[in-house]
Amino acid sequence: MQTTASHSPLHATVRQAAPARTSGRVRHYGRYLYLAINIAILVFLLAPIAVVVVFALNPTPFIQFPPVGVSLRWFEKFFASRDFMQALWFSLEVAVLTTVSATLLGASAALALARGNLPGTRLIVATMLSPLMLPAILTGLALFQTYVLLDVGRPTWGLVAGHTLVTLPYVVRTTLAVLHNFDTRLEEAAQNLGASPLRTFFEVTLPLIKPGVLAGAIFAFIVSFDQFPVSLFLVSPGNETLPVTLFNYLKFDLDGTIGAASVVSIVLAFVVVIGLDRTVGLRSYVKL
Amino acid sequence: MSSAAAQRPNGLALFILPGALLFALFFFLPIGLMALMSILTGNPVVAPKVAFTTRHYARMIGDPFYLEVIWTTIRIGLVTTLVALAIGYPLAHWMARIKSRAGHALLLMAVLAPMLTGIVVRTFAWMTLLSDRGVINQTLISLGLISQPLKLMYTETGIVVGLVHIYVPFMVLTLTGVIGRIDERLEQAAENLGASPLRAFLEVTLPLSLPGILAGSLLVFALAISAYVTPILLGGFQIMTLPILIYQQISANFNVGFAAALGIVLLMISLLLVVAYNRALGLVSGQHDLQ
Repeated sequence: MQTTASHSPLHATVRQAAPARTSGRVRHYGRYLYLAINIAILVFLLAPIAVVVVFALNPTPFIQFPPVGVSLRWFEKFFASRDFMQALWFSLEVAVLTTVSATLLGASAALALARGNLPGTRLIVATMLSPLMLPAILTGLALFQTYVLLDVGRPTWGLVAGHTLVTLPYVVRTTLAVLHNFDTRLEEAAQNLGASPLRTFFEVTLPLIKPGVLAGAIFAFIVSFDQFPVSLFLVSPGNETLPVTLFNYLKFDLDGTIGAASVVSIVLAFVVVIGLDRTVGLRSYVKL
Repeated sequence: MSSAAAQRPNGLALFILPGALLFALFFFLPIGLMALMSILTGNPVVAPKVAFTTRHYARMIGDPFYLEVIWTTIRIGLVTTLVALAIGYPLAHWMARIKSRAGHALLLMAVLAPMLTGIVVRTFAWMTLLSDRGVINQTLISLGLISQPLKLMYTETGIVVGLVHIYVPFMVLTLTGVIGRIDERLEQAAENLGASPLRAFLEVTLPLSLPGILAGSLLVFALAISAYVTPILLGGFQIMTLPILIYQQISANFNVGFAAALGIVLLMISLLLVVAYNRALGLVSGQHDLQ
């Protein structure tokens, strides 16, 4: 505070003119209060996650606090459970399929919207982002009713289509943000130097929009892996995603298996985020 | 390139088609069918004789129970949004203004970590915190502050606490973007002219961040009114909201028509909100968009 005042003559005069009002001490108290409030909010955000880890390791079969020890029995139970394992693999399968389709469809739609000179771009963008604003449970309900009416059952592609719909907005948004920010003259320069539109796309546009597409893909994976309301209506018995299985388990049991499953899915989400970033990031070095 | 060519769609415009097809088949068609189902007497595929009816809507309006459910859903959504704003703003402000890059990265991770944790898991976390034998009650009892456990779970307050925790990251991320785009020198100028930091914030930063406040609030409200897991688990099947009722109509009663009508009501609430948001944004920003 003092240092900023010293190299600003205007600031210094004002401080002299009104010395009593904002004294350094009041400023400091304000600063402490600001930090204290924010740290309390961070505790509120993070404490529940810490609690989940504690309960995953606590050996008692019911909620108990303070914990009485450390054991891995809930992890053993989770990995030994056929239901949970099936759900975990099914969730991963759906999340991977969703990420691929949402990224392909979303990135190409964003490209068309930013570079295609389409009429009514604003309306199309608003429409493509609307699954974010509409309650996801409605998307689930509407798709469920459609599948019932068309008598197609509850196929995996139906679930993936629902997930793609609610994850696509993330890819469209992140890709559009990058497309809007970058200099179109780079593309023009490549074409002026004799590159075909296709080559320009692969060697100029794609590398430049990759961070946006990648961010969207990561969002798509996480949102799909954690997706609940759409899945609730579209999964079939025996083919349930992990969140639905966890939810059904939670309705009757509150033991540490849920904690263990939670820790596994948190770790998995982090691994995917870091892994995706590493691999795709590395490839860019190899290519260029 | 001539300006005439710039007006016409070019080859890249075709890339919109796969996405458009997805939306036509899996978004507009299903929502249209849902609207249709809400005014039919039965499933036209199974039942040969179906007629148009308003009975699903009449049932909703005629029974105070359903009106109460709608109001509970909106009330929980509103309270959740207000609390999420109150909690999210300071954190977003800190994130937008923090100077050190490492500090910013740490804050971002702290906000993203709960998002990576999933709705079911976080609801479980709050069950372990709020239940009668949960962390909060056990701690208070062992400290001798209370003798009987406080009723934290199976209440609307419990639901709101859980929902706020789940949706506050969306508020923070939306607000951070908007606050970050406000020129810090405007605040400094106000302070140089004698305003206290608080007044500079209230009269400069806060009004300029209104678009973000609106966007974040809309997002959190839309998410909160469509929440299913948290109200059902933290409410212990005792507090009824629209999503719970909708799923119950499907799973227990298989009343697809009534579920569709309830869905249309939820859709209307969301659409009204988006319209109100756009109106409010127009009033707030006045000039063309900030982007």
